[in-house]
Amino acid sequence: MRDGRRWVTTAAVVAVIAGAALISKGEAQTPPGAPPFRFGIAAVVARPRITVEWQAAVGGLRQSANVGESLAANLDRAQVDATAVPILLPRDPKLTAGARLYSFGDYYTITANTAGGRVSLSGTTATVPLPAAKPLKVETGPEGLTVQRTVDGQLASFVRFGVLYTVEIRCDAPGDPRCHDDNYVLGLVGKTTAVVMGKAARQAAGLGG
Amino acid sequence: MRVSPIPLIAVLLLAPLAGCDDTTKPPPAGEAPKPPSPEPGPPKADDAPADGGAEQPASEPIPPSPDPAAQPADPPGPTSASFDHAPAGAIPPGQGPGYLDRTVWSPNMCWPLAEAGFPNSQVYGPGGGSGPAGHPNQCDSLNYSLPWHDTFCEARSRSNPLCAGSGTGHQGQDIRPATCKKNEHWAVAAEAGTITDIGTYTVTLVAKAAPHYTYRYLHMQMSTLAVKEGDQVARGQNLGKVSNDFGGTPTTIHLHFELRAGVSGMTTDGKPVTLHTFLPPYLSLAEAYQRKLNGQTCG
Repeated sequence: MRDGRRWVTTAAVVAVIAGAALISKGEAQTPPGAPPFRFGIAAVVARPRITVEWQAAVGGLRQSANVGESLAANLDRAQVDATAVPILLPRDPKLTAGARLYSFGDYYTITANTAGGRVSLSGTTATVPLPAAKPLKVETGPEGLTVQRTVDGQLASFVRFGVLYTVEIRCDAPGDPRCHDDNYVLGLVGKTTAVVMGKAARQAAGLGG
Repeated sequence: MRVSPIPLIAVLLLAPLAGCDDTTKPPPAGEAPKPPSPEPGPPKADDAPADGGAEQPASEPIPPSPDPAAQPADPPGPTSASFDHAPAGAIPPGQGPGYLDRTVWSPNMCWPLAEAGFPNSQVYGPGGGSGPAGHPNQCDSLNYSLPWHDTFCEARSRSNPLCAGSGTGHQGQDIRPATCKKNEHWAVAAEAGTITDIGTYTVTLVAKAAPHYTYRYLHMQMSTLAVKEGDQVARGQNLGKVSNDFGGTPTTIHLHFELRAGVSGMTTDGKPVTLHTFLPPYLSLAEAYQRKLNGQTCG
C-alpha cells in the first residue's frame, strides 16, 4: 500500500455507504496454528477453515432487505439453499439476471455473462496456509482487498463476515480495457454488497431453515 | 499490483444511480452440435508464437526479477517421482525468480493429460520468443524430451504474489502434449468437480472436494470441447484437446495448467492476508505423473 491515507479515506467511504455492519473487522482471517513449512514431496496440506462471523452477516442480510433476494431470483434455489456461507451479489440486476450458481457447501461460485466476457463471484471458508517463510508480494486495502492481473482479466479478493470472497472479470478480447486495469473489478467489488442466505446458511446463522 | 481506491469510491457513489453492465442470457439448455475435430497436424505458419508462446503480450515489458531462489542448505528429501525432472523452483538465471516450494498442494489429483506430456518453458525453449539461437521450431526435439522444467514464477508481467521481486510471474505450468500435433491429445479432469466457466480459450474446473481447488486449462481447441459449463466431471474425464487457442493470438501448442485456491499467509510487509491466488502445480503434477507411470488409473 503506497498511500495509507488514501486507503483510510476509501475505508471510510465504504463504511458510510455500505454500512458498518457490512464491513468485517478489516483483518484478514489467518488461521491460527498453521503448521511449519514441510519439505518433501509427500507433504500434507493442512486445511484450516475460516469461521464465519454470522452476526455481521445477518446484519448485512438485514441491510440488504429484499434487494438480495430480488437479485437472486434467477439463481438455482437448490444451489442457494445448499450454500453454507453468506452469498454476496452485486447490486446490478443485469449482471445477476442470467447468472449461474455452483455450490459446494462451504464454497460457491457464480458465473455471469457480460458483453465480451464473464464475471465470477465466489465465496469460501476453505483456505490453505502458505509457508510462513514465503511472504506474499501483494498490497492490501480495506477488508484485506487485493487485486491481481490474470492472463485474461482481473481478480479481486477480500474478506467480509470472515468469508473469503472473490470477484473476477475475464475478457474475450485482449484489448478490453476492463481487464487491463483494476477500475472495473474494483467497481464491481464496490457494488457487491447484497447478502443472500439460503437454508444452509440461515441454519448456521441461527435463523432457522 | 497497486490497488487504486479512486474507482472504488466513484462506483460506490454512483452505484445506486444505474447498472452499468450489459449481460446476455446463458445459452439455452441442450448442447449445440459441434463440428468434427479437424485432422491434427504439425504447426502451421499462423501458429508462430507472437507472444513468446506464454500468455505474455509483446507490448508489455516483463519486470526485472531476481535470480532464482537459492536452494536450501538442508536439501529436501528425495521425491517419489523417478523420471527425469528438474527440481521445483529451478529457473535458469535471467528467466525469472521461480518459486521454491516442496509442497504437493494437490496430492491426489490426476495427471491432466491422457498421455505423456512435457512441462517446460514456452518462452525460453526452442521456438519461444526468447528461445535458444539456432532452434526456431517449437517442434524441436528438445521441447519434447525430458527433463521436466518448472515454469511457475517464470518471468511474466502478470500478477503472482508468490513470486519474489516484483510480485509478477507465470501463474501456472506450461505442458507440451505428447507430440507436436495440435487437436489430438486429450486434456483430462485433474479432480472430480464442476465446469464453472468456459471462455474463449479457458476452461475452469472447481473441485468438489475441499479446499475446492480451481484448475484452469488454457489453449485447448475450444470448438471441440467435450464439456460445457455446468457439467459435473469425474477424475480423468476428457475435457478437450490440447491446442494453441488464444483468442486469436498465436501461441505454441501447449496446455497452460493453473492451480488456484484460497490461501492465507503474510505479506512481505508483515501483514496477514487471505486471498484467492495461484499455487505452484509442478510437484503435484510430478506426483500425478509418477502414479500414472506406476499404472494407477485415474477415474
